[in-house]
Amino acid sequence: MSAYLLNRVGQALFVLWAAFTISFVLLQAMPGDAILIKFQNPDLGLTAQQVAEIRASYAADSPVFVQYAHTIGKFLTGNFGYSVQAGVPVSSLLAAHLPATLKLATLGFLLASVLAILIAFLSSLTPFASLRGALQSVPSLFISIPTFWLGIMLIQIFSFRLKLVPVINPGPWQELILPVITLAVPISAPLAQVLVRHIDDVMTRPFVGVARAKGANRQWILWRHVAKNALLPTLTIAGVLFGELIAGAVVTETVFGLNGIGGLTERAVGSQDAAVLQAIVVLSALAFVIINLIVDLLFPVLDPRLRTKIGAAA
Amino acid sequence: MTTKLKRLALTLAMLAATSLAHPGARAEGTAEPAKGGTLIYLEQQAHTNLYPPAGGFYPNGGILNQITDKLTYQNPKTLEIEPWIAESWTVNADATEYTFKIRPGVTFSDGTPLDAAAVAKNYDVFGLGNRALKHPVSEVINNYERSEVVDPLTVKFYFKKPSPGFLQGTSVIGSGLVAASTLALPFEELGDATKIIGSGPFVVESETIGKELKLKAREEYNWGPVKLEHQGRAYLDGITYIITGEDSVRIGALLAGQADFIRQVQAYDEGQVEAQDYQIYAPSTRGVNNSVVFRPDNPLVADVKVRQALLHATDTKEIVTTLFSANYPQATSIIASSALGYKDISAKLAFDPEKAKALLDEAGWLVGSNGLRQKDGKELVLTAYESLPQPQNKETLQLVAQQWGKVGVKLNVLAGDSGSKTVDDLDPLKTPVSPAMVGRADPDVIKSQYYPKNRDVLRQKGGLSDKVQSFVDDKLNGLLEALASEPNREKRLAIAGEIQDYVVDQAYAIPIFEEPQAYAGARYVQGVAFEAVGRPSFYSTWLAEH
Repeated sequence: MSAYLLNRVGQALFVLWAAFTISFVLLQAMPGDAILIKFQNPDLGLTAQQVAEIRASYAADSPVFVQYAHTIGKFLTGNFGYSVQAGVPVSSLLAAHLPATLKLATLGFLLASVLAILIAFLSSLTPFASLRGALQSVPSLFISIPTFWLGIMLIQIFSFRLKLVPVINPGPWQELILPVITLAVPISAPLAQVLVRHIDDVMTRPFVGVARAKGANRQWILWRHVAKNALLPTLTIAGVLFGELIAGAVVTETVFGLNGIGGLTERAVGSQDAAVLQAIVVLSALAFVIINLIVDLLFPVLDPRLRTKIGAAA
Repeated sequence: MTTKLKRLALTLAMLAATSLAHPGARAEGTAEPAKGGTLIYLEQQAHTNLYPPAGGFYPNGGILNQITDKLTYQNPKTLEIEPWIAESWTVNADATEYTFKIRPGVTFSDGTPLDAAAVAKNYDVFGLGNRALKHPVSEVINNYERSEVVDPLTVKFYFKKPSPGFLQGTSVIGSGLVAASTLALPFEELGDATKIIGSGPFVVESETIGKELKLKAREEYNWGPVKLEHQGRAYLDGITYIITGEDSVRIGALLAGQADFIRQVQAYDEGQVEAQDYQIYAPSTRGVNNSVVFRPDNPLVADVKVRQALLHATDTKEIVTTLFSANYPQATSIIASSALGYKDISAKLAFDPEKAKALLDEAGWLVGSNGLRQKDGKELVLTAYESLPQPQNKETLQLVAQQWGKVGVKLNVLAGDSGSKTVDDLDPLKTPVSPAMVGRADPDVIKSQYYPKNRDVLRQKGGLSDKVQSFVDDKLNGLLEALASEPNREKRLAIAGEIQDYVVDQAYAIPIFEEPQAYAGARYVQGVAFEAVGRPSFYSTWLAEH
């Protein structure tokens, strides 16, 4: 078990380093940089010489290797540097933006899971083939809806027309209702699809036939025998979907004007604020690694067969 | 029966009242301003930096205009300079020495006095910059040499050369006065609004970066511009700025009653706003018009005939009528008709495609087999990047491209990421054509726009870019320098007129329309004022019952 864990932590560290390095290289390869974008702005009326002086004061034109070593050294000590665009330390930007995204992502994921389970179970339990077909095509519909369009439509209908929830100056929980729905819809689609697929799969297994022969009804079989087996692959997908969650948050937060990591990313990309982007990439990679680690560790808890295997290896 | 009659009378009275109240904004002075309330203001973009000279960027200026005072006040109607923090001033004959008498009793919100020493400190930074703290020089201050504190309430400024635009420069958004503690901070920390200490009618209460900014009224404020009717503290208790990037959400929120006032309303949205009886405000920016400029260092547009041809191939009327509204008047010079020093040169800007074709033929650019003009095996294909802050700039450029296409010239319009754009924009070979505009209610604005040491829109050698090979226009630069240092007002305005003629004769720029800043507000938002170039001032704003 401990060898397994060590192996996984090693992998995680490699992923983090790779994410850092690749994003560093990509950001360096882009034309221009944050300092140029900010200070070459004609509204500031800086001369070429003044811009050059500012660049020198940031050491913006020192060799790439020096900058790389410098940045990674600072990251290792937990110093993410300064945001050129916002003029504040990156760490305080992250501290200000992270809570909103965590709330949004967690609630969005929970709602997505509920939606997925509802779709899968209802479609599996319904006795009518036509209804079943309709329910099973819901995920295809959900995944085809563009997030920004859904967000704007929800705002137009529920906030502006029906006046149920304000989008300007909402309460702390009110502000989450529409964004959470917006985020949950596209995330629920792959979850539901995988769940439906595996419920169908497990339903054809011999032990289900045995249970049925013993007189169990469909509902009993689904809850007692099928659900647990069908959940395992869904859990794997859930871990992978974390990436989707972040991508969805960028759009959702921008549409709703939420102050989260997504909105921060969007602005940082626009201004090529490398320090902020690097911190976000590394942070996302970290979250990704941790979530997938948790998913892997949950497997043996849910499935006794995997438990013995790991036990034997340790 | 009597009740019925009463009801009828009441109904009639209400009808009369509503129909009278309809002309809305003009009913301002009639009612007694109500005190209290918080204005919900939706801003399209977050502020970037609140160093006062960075106030040219609208989101920055929209905040600075509430939290800082200026030495002088430019009356937005007459454009005259009136007293504000300075009670009076004197200027010597050749505009190299300015002496200001400071109003007593003014304090910054941290309690420190706004006296001659504080003013001197501000202008030393704005006029000379601060290298150690990376504070740039303000573009509105020319030829600044030094300050002198004559007595606690008298400050004198000395200039190396005449600086006739300085008095107006003390009234602009970029000249807000801030406390010594603010000026002691490095430039990059000035993005934090809570650190900006001014003497204005509002102070920053709290800030959530990139999302929300709360201002509250300063109770003891009693030093607004003396000629304003309203004195004392602001009527509003506070202002909440909320960043709402989506156009449809900003307008929807206003119409749904979730916000009181919004910035940036596109021309195509004006109809639905006015249809629901909300008010559009479109103050002119009174500066250099929204234009397309050329970079003559690029050989394709080095020939004046080519530029003139493209000027005459551009149908600005079509652009204004198809993309914009009555709030965007067709340009009649390179500066707005409401700008100081304006000269009507619309005769030189006529749309004339036949003349355009003839000029291109003369210049040796002949139509090739693919319909594009060619010369020495090269095609006349130009490139421009769209400018995001300018209204519908992409659509404008695309329409220009269609119009130029009719005379055989191709214009590629690129969106590009901000990095590529910033880099390519410095290279005339990559961007022979560029959109441009800038607002300021003084003829100096023309210098800001064209002078190589300022915005350098034409990209001259020795200016902003080191990629320029050889293009320099000494005549233009000489005129611009004269404009910035001619102390005689009549002569100065004459020079401004001469420059307008020269720029259009050389076809360096194709002015398209006079750019307003478009805002929308609910009818109950009363007394909204705008400084001379269109930033809102909420000092006298109040919320009627609604």
